[in-house]
This record gives sequence, structure tokens and C-alpha cells, in this order.
Amino acid sequence: MSDDDKYSAQVTVVKQECKEADEAEIIEEFRRYEEEFLIPPEDALRSVIRKFQAASGQEQSTTFAQPARVEKKVDRFADLGSDDKNVTLEVSVVTYTPRIQMVRGEEKQIAFGWIEDNPWEPSDKRERWDFKDWGDHGANLAPSSIVRLEGVSVNEWNDKRSININRSSRVTILREGGPAVPAISDEPVTIEKASEKEGFVNVVARIIASKPDVIVKRDGSGTIDIVRGRLADSTGSIGFLSWVPIEHEVGSLVKIDSAMVKKFRETPEININDRTMIEIFHDKSFASTEVLSEPTTVKIADLRNGMRDIITTVQVESWQSRTFTNAEGEERIVRSGDVMDPTGRCRLTAWCEIEPKPGDFLHLTNARVQYWQGSPDLVIDKLDQISNLEDKPWESIDPANHWVDVELTELVSGGSRRGITTAGTIVAVRSDSGIIQRCPECRRVLREDACAEHGVQRGNEDLRLRLVLDNGVSNASLLLARAPAESYLGIDLETVKTEIAKEGPEGFVADLRKKLLARNVVINGRALVDEQGAMIMAEDMTFDSTSAEDAAKSVMEKWGVVM
Amino acid sequence: MGGGYVIQQTTRRNARQSAIRIFAQEYSDANLPEEGSGEYDPSFIITKLGAKINRALIGGVIDRLERREGDNGPSYNGHLRDATGGTHRFNIAAFQPELHADIEELLHRFEAGDRFLMMVVGKARWFESDDGGIFTSFRAEEFSVVERETYVRWLVDTAAATLRRLDAQVASLESDLTPAGLEAAGVPRDLVDGMILARGHYGEFDAEIYRVGVLQGLQMAMNTSGNFEAAPPESFDVQPTTTTEPQQSTVMDGVPFTPTTSSEPDGNVDDVIKTAISIADQGQGVPYDSLVLAAVQAGFSRLVAEDAIDDLRDVKCEIIEPRFGFFQILE
Repeated sequence: MSDDDKYSAQVTVVKQECKEADEAEIIEEFRRYEEEFLIPPEDALRSVIRKFQAASGQEQSTTFAQPARVEKKVDRFADLGSDDKNVTLEVSVVTYTPRIQMVRGEEKQIAFGWIEDNPWEPSDKRERWDFKDWGDHGANLAPSSIVRLEGVSVNEWNDKRSININRSSRVTILREGGPAVPAISDEPVTIEKASEKEGFVNVVARIIASKPDVIVKRDGSGTIDIVRGRLADSTGSIGFLSWVPIEHEVGSLVKIDSAMVKKFRETPEININDRTMIEIFHDKSFASTEVLSEPTTVKIADLRNGMRDIITTVQVESWQSRTFTNAEGEERIVRSGDVMDPTGRCRLTAWCEIEPKPGDFLHLTNARVQYWQGSPDLVIDKLDQISNLEDKPWESIDPANHWVDVELTELVSGGSRRGITTAGTIVAVRSDSGIIQRCPECRRVLREDACAEHGVQRGNEDLRLRLVLDNGVSNASLLLARAPAESYLGIDLETVKTEIAKEGPEGFVADLRKKLLARNVVINGRALVDEQGAMIMAEDMTFDSTSAEDAAKSVMEKWGVVM
Repeated sequence: MGGGYVIQQTTRRNARQSAIRIFAQEYSDANLPEEGSGEYDPSFIITKLGAKINRALIGGVIDRLERREGDNGPSYNGHLRDATGGTHRFNIAAFQPELHADIEELLHRFEAGDRFLMMVVGKARWFESDDGGIFTSFRAEEFSVVERETYVRWLVDTAAATLRRLDAQVASLESDLTPAGLEAAGVPRDLVDGMILARGHYGEFDAEIYRVGVLQGLQMAMNTSGNFEAAPPESFDVQPTTTTEPQQSTVMDGVPFTPTTSSEPDGNVDDVIKTAISIADQGQGVPYDSLVLAAVQAGFSRLVAEDAIDDLRDVKCEIIEPRFGFFQILE
């Protein structure tokens, strides 16, 4: 069937609406919609008509009404509509029941209960509704009090209406009620769970290490006695820091209420203070100290800043030693190198005499982890922590080609890693991509020819591209430094300068956006992950070469879609 | 505690919201906003399938683009029509002058009659009409005209994202509406919160309607991958009709077209429309354009067809529009 016949039905419609339109042009337009824009003629009908109407000046533009968000004051629930927002009314609180619920991935205390309208009248003249408190207003919502709610909204589900008291809502006590309902005390959680979040926790755990320590105040005003140690259960172990003396010995099984989990560097730690309650707990089946204190074997991918007492095996890629003079004027030697395992790469720093050769396999015990330039760095202090393995734990890895595939979401939710490959779509091209000036002293980017630290400077030119990589669930900043940027662009810094001189910085970024926005790319590089999010320093970036057809096939396979 | 121990800053900046891949159909059906409580907390539109959308990556062919002159400078409104036939609305505000030069260039092309595929990264926004309706759109952050190949990859990625939500939605029907319950049922973590809110807000609906858009997207990737532009136009003539026939396999487009050469209307327009619905409706309703087309096929003018549809729906009450743009016979 020719295009003319194929679209004849639609063409008839367009002709009715736009009498002057040329039939061949209409057919061509339907063909374009179908072939180039992937919109079948039935769906394209309105668009095509609009196009030809516009061409003949028939089109009238529509206007969008602007919303008005006004406060709605009512006396009775009956006056409320099913989707009223920003409502103000006075109610009597009947019940208030807190509970913990996941809100945006975090455990939050919410509460539900009953409220009655018309609070100043006897209760037989009142109507009772459910409410939900999303904003932790418990202190102001004590049962039998009368309150004014402002900025609350109506929620309707299954024909039943209720009131949502939001975080932004205001609750004003008009008449005091009984005592406020205290925040519920959580059940004890496992060490694994406790390590995942910051905030108050209760745990049942065995003390597997505990020793007094001292913190020296930075202002020189003295010291604070503390206790450091480690708690463990069958799900894992976690360090603790106590600001109060710990009476329980190593090996005791204890229940700890109202401790605080905080992160020290990247590693969660339980903080114990004078409001924390610690008591002996009895459970014969709880794992013994011996079992729990076995040091943990960790792979490079799982290293986190601040970890101690870990066992790991690495393959040496390179090794150097460096002499320096420390603050006390002593000359010291530090040895370090790049190491790998099947899950990635990192650096190893040794404060003892060891000279491994590239390709050697080292087994490390009681190693600790420090961050160096944002990446985890294994540190060993004594020779007896290292043994050079005779037997290969794995087939030797070729360092030139060792990129570990990590899905973006996994990468972003883990720790900093080197030597990874990941994929995603470019969803932002930052306008400060291009040529920058760096401070010759500290390499900071100069702003208006000045460094934050070193004042006005004649900067060194550098090239970088700042992008955002996103897979629809997670995202990361993506930075291409000079070498990978030059290699992606296919031109060197000087040529970029010439281009920018011609089109201006905006023109350069606009061109970049045309080439990159919404494109799927594959990145080799390293990832720095911290509280602010993740940043990937690309060593190279290529366009994903998977064809749409293959991508569609794998999607259909994954989700069992049959055409 | 003295100055010795530096307490880690617990006030963490809001992490950047990921760009949800979503078809116009799912987004325009959504009417549940969630406003952030704090000044810098993100706001979201929650869709029926539980997507919590603050930022999205959308695509389609430019269908409308216009400039408005305001007191603070020009602003721009645009429509993108994607493979589901739905329309994504986006806006560029007067306070985004850094985007004005680029959109002016596109506006110029658009007004000259050019149509092109575009992708937009935008932030969800909405307004509420006086009668409480929620109208969703996006404020563009970045946009670009893209090659077909890039768009088709987006169709595939968006189909995958929609299937993932459909799967989660089905799983949620048989589990407790609690975070733990949903996670146990296999709902991915990033969808748990939105799924609870969606299930609490939207009544029962047929989630399968979203599968149609998914199938359309995937089918396009399968059929048209690669060498379409390279193929000479004549080749379409000789291809078997089944491959060039647009999406007739889907239930939504099943209105039978009986090509007629007669320009005289035959029969009653109401009957034509009702017959078209009763033949083509397989539970999802029949799209507006298909009904108009059926009426035009039978020799009625577009205007008559549109009036008749309105009349059947609003006055005679013989058909209903349970979902915008889709019609069913009122039993």
C-alpha cells in the first residue's frame, strides 16, 4: 500500500480542517510522524491538524489558568471537600498513637488517631474523623486537648475522609489536655540495621572489645576520658565510643537503650552518653565472644573509611617508597602502591619495611582503612601484618584492563571505589564545563581570577567537563578531567580554546549539550561517595553501543514481555 | 564537650533527585502532589504506579511551542508527544534566561513548520484548578533536539522503568501496605514510599492500560531499529502491510476502518460512533481520534463527529469518558 492510500483516512480529516493544505505535504507529514517520530497516524492526527492550522494562521493558543492556593477556614468536617488543602479548623484530640514508618527511605515517627470537630460543644454534637500526623506534632496533640490546626489537608481513600497533619502544618494548643504521648521506644535492632542509619537505637550485643581512651581538646583546655570498644551480634560488629565509664567487661552480653549512631568518617559508630541505659541481657544462645571477635575478611569493594581490624588479600600492581620529614623533624619512609582484587583497586600504605614486586599477592591482617584523596586506602603498620602468598588466590589480574562492572545504583549506595565501569544517561551538562583557571599553588579553580586561599593569581589553564549521570533510580556527578575530556571531544585544550573564542563559553556548552544530553554512556573511572552523594571521575567515556533493538530484547526478556 | 571532638555535620544537603523515565500517559494521569515540608525539601508528583517524580527525563516530538510575554520577560510553553500518544507539557520560565537563546532557536524552527524529536530534563510542577483538579507539567532544566536513535533508546529505557513499576504495583496488591511488607513482596526500595502513597490515594484502576504504551515503545525499537532513515522511501511500498501498519495489534487502536469512497454520510452519526465503540472497546475504552476518524470515514465532517461525541456523552448520556480521551458505551 502506498503512503497515499495508507494515510488517506487521516488526510481526509486534515483536508476538512485545513482546506488550503496541500495533500502531498499532508501525506509527507504523516509519514514523518510515523517514521521519524514514531507516532502512528491516528495519534498524529491532532498534531498534524494543528501544524497546518498554524501554517494558515488558524491556531488559537490556549492559556493555562494559574492556581490560587488559599487558606480554607471551616468549623465542621462536613464543610470540607475531598481534596481541600491548607485547611484551618479547631478540633478536640481523642487519641494519638505514634508508630514508626518508612518515609522516603528513612524511618520516621508518624502517628494516627481520632479528632472531633466542633470541640467547644458536647461530644454528641461532634463528628469524629481519623487523622494522620506526618510532622511529629505529638507534643501539641495530647489526647483530650483542644487545638487549632492550620495548613492541614483532607485525604480521601475508599470513600473515607481523614485529615493529614503535615510537617508544615501548625498546631496551636487552645486548651491543655492530658500528658503528651511520648515517642515510642523502639525494639532492639540488629547491629546490621543499626549500622545503616544515624539516630537513636536500641541494640542487644556482646562487648567484644573495650578500653579506656582519652580525647585531647583541640583548644588545649584539657582532656576527656572516654571508652572505645566494639559491639557485635551475629549480623556484624560496630565500634562504640562512650562518654561515660563502662562497667561491663569484655564478653558481657548487654542491652543498650537510647544510644546514638553517628558516622565517624564513613564508618558508623555507637555513641553512649549519660542518657543511655546499659544492662546485662540473658540469652544462652547468643554467639560467643570468640565467634564474634573473628576479624572480618573484606574485599576491596567493601572498604570504608575508618574500618579497623580487617583481613584482606590483594595483588600488587606497583610499589614505591618515599622519604619525608614529619612535623617533629624526623626523617621517615612511607611505602605505598596500587593494589587490586577481583572487586576493584585501591592503594596500600605500609609504615614498615616491605618491598613486594608487581604481581605479588599479599595477605593482610588487622589492616585499617583511611581515606586518601577521597578513596579508601589500606594501611598496615607492622611487618607481621603481611604475608606474601605463594599460592595465587586468583588468576593474576591484568592491571591494564581491570575494570569491574558496577551498576550505578550499587555504586552510589556503596563506598568510594577505584577501577570501576558503570553506565547511565547524561541528564545534565553543567555550564561551567570547558576551560578553567587553576591556582598555581593549590590547583583550586580560580573565581574571577582569585583563589579562595591564595588571592589573585595568574592561573594555569585546564579543561574539564562537568556532567550528571543518571539511570532513573540513582545519579552521580560525572567529571571528565583534561585527558579524558580531550579524548572524548577528540580535540585538545588549545583547539577547545579556539572554539570557545569563536562561539563563547555558552556556545561551547550548548554544543556539548546537543551531543551529550539524553545519551547513554559507559564510564571507566573511580567513584567518590560521601554524604553529599557520589562523584565519578571518568578515565574515559564512550557512548553505549547497544542497539535499541538489542536493548528492547533484553527488556522483554527480563520482564517476560511477549509481542 | 569542649572543642576536642568534632561532631559530624548531620544536616546533609538534599541529594540530587534522579530523573525518572516516564511516558506522558502515566504522568498526565497523576494527580497526587506531595509538597516538601522544609524550604529546600523536594516536592513530588506521585503517579498511579507509585513513581515519585521530582525530576524526569521525557521525550517526544515537538507538538506545540509558544512564547508568552510577561512582566518579567518571556516564558515558553511546549508540548512533547511521545509514543504512547500522550502529551508531556513543559515550560521555561522568565527567570531561566540561560535557556532562552536555545529555546528561541527551536521556536524559530517550530514556527517555520519544522518538527523534531526533543528530550527534556525537567522538574515536576503542577497547578490546581478551582475545582480541585491537578494539572501536571515540567519546568525544563535542560533540553536538546535529539537523533531518532537517542529517542528510541529512551523509549526502551522508559518501557523498562514502566514495567518495573507495573511489576511493583502488582506485587503491592498482595502485600501489606507497609514498607516492610512491600519490600518483602519485592517492591524495589525507591518505589516503596511512592507505592504506599499511590495506593492510599488512587482508587482501583486497571494498570494494564500502561502496558499498552510500553508495548508501543518496545515495538518501535524492535521494528525500526537502525536503518530506517537509510531505507529509500519506496521500500515501504513493497513491505508487507503487517510491519508498516501502525500498532493495529494493540487493543486501543482496534477501530475498524472501512475505506469508503462515498462522500455522502451514510446512516446516523451517533450510531456510527456507538458502533465503533462497541466493536473496538475491549475494556479500555476507545480513543477520541479513532472515533472521529470512524465518523469521517462514514462521511461525516470532523465538526459533526466531535459535536456528536460531546452530545452522546453530556446530553444523551449514552457514552462515558472514564479516562480523558477514551470512550465507552454506558451500559
